[in-house]
Amino acid sequence: MRLELPTDPQLLCIARCAVDEVARLVGFSDDESYTINLALGEAMTNIIRHAYDGRQDRAFQLICRRLPGGLEFLLVDQGREADQAQFRSRPLGELRTGGFGTHIIAQVMDDVRYERRQERNWLRMVKLRGRKNPPISA
Amino acid sequence: MQISTRLAGEATVVDVQGDIDLYNSPEVRKVLIGLLREKRAPRVVVNLKGVKYIDSSGVASLVEGLKVSRDLQSRLILYGLSPAAREVLELTRLIRVFEVYENEDEALRAAR
Repeated sequence: MRLELPTDPQLLCIARCAVDEVARLVGFSDDESYTINLALGEAMTNIIRHAYDGRQDRAFQLICRRLPGGLEFLLVDQGREADQAQFRSRPLGELRTGGFGTHIIAQVMDDVRYERRQERNWLRMVKLRGRKNPPISA
Repeated sequence: MQISTRLAGEATVVDVQGDIDLYNSPEVRKVLIGLLREKRAPRVVVNLKGVKYIDSSGVASLVEGLKVSRDLQSRLILYGLSPAAREVLELTRLIRVFEVYENEDEALRAAR
């Protein structure tokens, strides 16, 4: 699946719906699908907020590929290069209002890689079925 | 997302329905801060039963509300967390920071 999405926060739900369906199609559980959506949502939010400084007139790509046992997600944008110091995890459990997105992505996904290539940001995330997060209790 | 408020005794209940994400988390923040700062509500109880998706920007709005409530010596209480919403608070290690109850009765009893 390949989507080109505007950097309009109102439309993030469209991507989430698509990712949700794809995750279920390849056999992820409801709980896993939710956490995948959560991580993708955080990554897309970071593109809008940081790569494009909140501008809503830009676009980015979400590419989703099936892997044996899971899914690979690629997010590609032409915004500002990410400050990799921001990727460092911050102390959690404190009353702060930011810095959680990167942590959530790292907690949920089995592999996360960022690179800057051809003046684009490439964020690759892999989620395998039945790994890492224990299921959300019902 | 829909957000509305109602009085329940001395508490103000904020009912939220729908997803809380980058698009509408500012509205959640605005309602909570408005109740606490402008209306000086002493107890704000947030009903999250209708929230199936909340991301870190939504959590940030709740955290801002909690911080303001502490500054003003008010209280901000959550109830009705879906398993998914609870997961986000656990992933961010904030579940222990908030007062969280299962249902409205328990939340209002605690708010007295």
